[in-house]
Amino acid sequence: MSSPKIPEFKAEWKEGEAGRWGLAIDMDLCTGCQACVAACSMENNVPFVGEKESGYGRQMAWMRVERLWEGQYPEVKTTPFQPVMCQQCGSAPCEPVCPVFATVHAEAEQLNLQVYNRCVGTRYCANNCPYVVRVFNWADFAINPIHANPDKDGKLVFPLHNQFNPDVTVRRRGVMEKCTFCIQRIHKAEDQAKSENREVVDGDVTPACAQACPADAIIFGRLDDPQSRVSKLSQDKRAVHLLEELGTQPRVSYLSGGSHGNLG
Amino acid sequence: MTDNFSRRDFLKLAGLGAATATILTGCGPASRYVVREPYTKMPEYTYNGQSTFYATTCRECAAACGLVIRTHQGRAIKAEGNPYNPVNLGKTCARGQASLQGLYNPDRIQNPGQHKRGEKTFTDMDWDAAIGVVGKALAGGDFAFLLGTAPDHLFDLAGELSKAYAAAAPLRFSALAVFEARATLGEAARAIFGKPDNLFFDLSNADLVFSFGANFLETWLSPVAYTREFANMRRAKRGYLVQFEPRMSQTAAKADEWIPVRPGTEGLVALALGKLAAEIKGKVLPAFNGVDVAAVAEASGVEQATLERLAQLFAAAERPVALPGGAPLAQSNGLEAGKAILALNAFTSGGVYLTAPAAVNDAYHRPASLKEMAALIERMNAGKIKTLFVHGVNPLFELPRALGFREALEKVPTVISFASFPDETALAADYVFPDHTGLESWGYQRAATGAGQTLISGAQPVIAPFYNTRATADVLLAASAGKLPYADEVAFVQAQVTGLIGAADGFFGAGDLPSFWAQFQQFGGWWTNDAKLSVPETPLLDKALQVEAPPVQGEGEFYLHVFPSPILAEAGANKPWLQEIPDPMTTVMWNSWLEMNPVTADELGLLDDDVVQVISPFGMLEVSVYRYPAIRPDTVAIPFGQGHTAYGRYAEGRGVNPADLLGGDFNSAGDLAFSGLKVQIKKTDKKQTLSRLESKLGVYGIGEKKE
Repeated sequence: MSSPKIPEFKAEWKEGEAGRWGLAIDMDLCTGCQACVAACSMENNVPFVGEKESGYGRQMAWMRVERLWEGQYPEVKTTPFQPVMCQQCGSAPCEPVCPVFATVHAEAEQLNLQVYNRCVGTRYCANNCPYVVRVFNWADFAINPIHANPDKDGKLVFPLHNQFNPDVTVRRRGVMEKCTFCIQRIHKAEDQAKSENREVVDGDVTPACAQACPADAIIFGRLDDPQSRVSKLSQDKRAVHLLEELGTQPRVSYLSGGSHGNLG
Repeated sequence: MTDNFSRRDFLKLAGLGAATATILTGCGPASRYVVREPYTKMPEYTYNGQSTFYATTCRECAAACGLVIRTHQGRAIKAEGNPYNPVNLGKTCARGQASLQGLYNPDRIQNPGQHKRGEKTFTDMDWDAAIGVVGKALAGGDFAFLLGTAPDHLFDLAGELSKAYAAAAPLRFSALAVFEARATLGEAARAIFGKPDNLFFDLSNADLVFSFGANFLETWLSPVAYTREFANMRRAKRGYLVQFEPRMSQTAAKADEWIPVRPGTEGLVALALGKLAAEIKGKVLPAFNGVDVAAVAEASGVEQATLERLAQLFAAAERPVALPGGAPLAQSNGLEAGKAILALNAFTSGGVYLTAPAAVNDAYHRPASLKEMAALIERMNAGKIKTLFVHGVNPLFELPRALGFREALEKVPTVISFASFPDETALAADYVFPDHTGLESWGYQRAATGAGQTLISGAQPVIAPFYNTRATADVLLAASAGKLPYADEVAFVQAQVTGLIGAADGFFGAGDLPSFWAQFQQFGGWWTNDAKLSVPETPLLDKALQVEAPPVQGEGEFYLHVFPSPILAEAGANKPWLQEIPDPMTTVMWNSWLEMNPVTADELGLLDDDVVQVISPFGMLEVSVYRYPAIRPDTVAIPFGQGHTAYGRYAEGRGVNPADLLGGDFNSAGDLAFSGLKVQIKKTDKKQTLSRLESKLGVYGIGEKKE
C-alpha cells in the first residue's frame, strides 16, 4: 500500500494491477447534455426524489455532470463538463470502513460492489468517499404514494414501476448505492461469452451511459486488454485521474485538454 | 413471417436475437390487433427472462431519431438509440431516454371523455360515442386541425382528410419550431440558395464554426445528430467553434470563444465579418458591401479589433460554416439576419449542403409559420371555425398569451383534443379522445436535417396499449366513413411507404409490400444508402444585404432572452426524471429561474434565490434570481419549459412560463419576433430557494450574506 492515508485493508487488489474494467471520458467531447445521467437512471432503477429532497442534496442519480466557472464577464468560461460517477477504485477508501462488508471488492470483475442486502445504512462509506459519488436511500422514494393512482378498490397502482429493469434490484430505504459499471450488463456479456466458449472481448459490454452518449465521449472496456480502446485512452498523455494523489487507483480516466492540445 | 412459423422456430430466432442483439419485428402485420389473453397462454414474444427489442421512432421532438426499445414480458423497460438510423446512429438524448416516463406516466388520460371546459376531470365515454362525435364534427365542416411537429404520418393523414372535406389545410407548430424560427430559416435559405430544400450543416469536416445563437448541442433542429457532428469535428482537426449570443448557452460553454453580442445585432455582425473576410481574401461579394464595420462594432458591442480578428480566422479557414440559430431569426430583422448569416457560407463550398425535401410538400403538407397561426386565431374569433382538433401540441402553454389563443378558443363551439396527458389545452377542450403515446403507435417521421440520407424513420408499437386509448388516425378514419381509401392507420402508413418499394437506392430492397413492411419495422424505417447532398449555389449574393437594427419593444432596461430548456424542451415537464436532471449550466432542478449578471444583481441588491417581478408590456411574472456569470449585464434570461397550470402532478404549479411575457409581433417571414423585447425587473421581499446540484447555499443558509 503506497498511501499512508488508506488503512491496511486490501480486499483483492494487488499493487500494480490494471484491473479488468475501466472507463475513459473525453472531456473535450462531453457536451454536458446529461443523456448519460438519464440513461443511467433508467437502466438502474434509480428513483427521483422531488424538488425539496433534491434541494437538500438527496438526489439519487449515480452520476453527475460537473462544471465550474472561471473568470468574470466578459472573460468568463466554464471548466469542461465532467461526468463523475463511482471511480471503481483499485484501492477504495469506502471498502475498509464498512462494518458489515457491504462494500466489498469483487475478485472476478475487479469492481467495488455494494451488497444491498448486507447494507445497514451506517453511511461510513459515503463519508469516506473522496468523490462524493455514493447516494443513500433516505426514504422509499419509488413507493411514495404521490406517484400512485388508486384503482377502483382503493389499492395504489404505480404505473412508473412498469419501467423497472428486471436485471437490477430495487433498493429500499436505508441502503447505500452507487454506480456499478452496469454489472448486470457485464454479467450478461460474460454469460454469453461463456456459452460461446470464448473470452469476453472489447465491445461486448457497453454500460448505459456510454451507449447513450451522443458525442461518444464515454468509452468502456477491459483495462487488462492492452489493445482495447479504453486501455489505449487511459495510457494517453491527456489522461488524468481524479484525486490520484490519494492513491485510490481509480479505474476512470479523464482525457483533459483538446485532442490537439490547443485547448488551454 | 409465414403462418406456419412454429413456436420452435420462434424460440430459435428469439435466442439468436438475444445473442446478437438483433432487432425483431413485431411478428408482422398480425400483431396490429392486440388481443389480451390469460398468462397461461402467453404470446410468444413475452417469454420469461427473454427481452424483445422493437425499433421505433422517438417522438420527444421532431428530429426523427430512431429508438430500439427493450421490452420484457410486455413491458417497455429501456430506450436506446437505433444504431441503423442515420440521424442518431444508436445514440439518444436525455429526453429520448426518459420517453418511457411518458408512456408510464401516472397522469395519462386513460379513457375517452368529455367535460365542461376548464374542469380538471373528464366523464368517461366509450369509443363508439367518441367516433360519433368526431364524425359529426367532420360532417359539419368548418373544422381545423392544429397539430404538432411530430408525428408526420398523422399530419399527412389530416392533410388528406382536410382536402377530402375541402377544409383548410392543417396547421402544425411546436414551441421548438417557434424558438428556432424554422419558417424564417427556410425562407432565408430560399432567398440565398434559390431552393426550398432542407439544409444540412457539415460540422464534421469543418475547421471553423461561427454559430449565431444556434444551440445545436441542446435543442436546435436535430441535437443528437449535431452533437455527433460536433464530436467528429473535435476529434478530427479540432475545429474551432465561436458562439455569438447574449447569454452563454450550453453550446457556447463548449465553444472556444463566446462573443456576447447585443440581442438583435447578430445579422449585422455577420455582414461585418463577411465584408472584412472578403477584403482579406480579395474577393468581391456585393452582398456584404452595404455595411459599415465601425457602426456594427458600436451597435453590437463587439470591438472592431475582435471583428477583424474573427474575420481573419474566417478568411483563413478551409471549411468554415456559419449557423443561423433561433434567437437571431426571431427578431423583427430576423429574415435579413438569416440571409446575412447563411451568406457567410458562400465563401467556401462544402459547409452547407442541401438535402432533397420530403416527397410530399404541397400546401396541405407543410409546416406553418406562426403568422398563419395568427390567421387561424382570427378565424376562430370571427366564429368561422366550428370544430378545432388539437393533437401533439399545447397552444395554451406554448403560444404567447398576447396572441389571444385563449380567448379565441372560447369562441369555437367544439374543441376536441387527442392529447395523452391532461395539458392546458386538453382541459380547455370539450372532449379528449386520447391517442396512444409514441411508443404504442404506428407511424413515421421524416428527417429534415441531421443526416444526409433521405430518411423516413418508422414507428411501431413496442407494447400493447397500456390504457383504453385509440390511435387518432384510426379514430379519424372511422369517423370519416369511407372518405379516404384506408382501412386503418397501418393501411395508411403502408400506402405512404409503398412508393419506396424497389427504390433503387434504398438500403434494403423488397419485391412486395409484406417483405418491405417487415424490414421497415425491423430496421425502424427506410433511408437511402448514400447521402443525397448537393452543394448549393449562391446566385443571389450580387445585391447588397441590409440588416436593420431591430426596434426595441417595451420600456424596461433589460433585454429578455427566452430559450428552450435543454433538458425539458417543450414537453418534458411531466417526466419526473427530466425534472430532476440538473440544468447543464445552472444545475437547477424542478423549477424556473431568471439568469442575471452578478454585476447587475449587485446593483439591484439581488442575491441568489431572491424573487423578482419581471414586467413586460404583455405580462408579469415572479421568479427566483440565479446570478449567472456568463450573460450580458443588459440582458436577463428565462428558460422555457416550466410554468404549467395543468399537465399532471410533476409539471403543474412549478416555475413560470416566459411565453406569458412575449408579444405577438412577427418578422417578415411570419415567425414570432420575440427576442427584441425589453423588460423591467422589480425586487420583491420574497425569497424562494431553488434546488441546485452545485451548492447547498440557500438551503442550509450556509455562507449567505447577512443584510
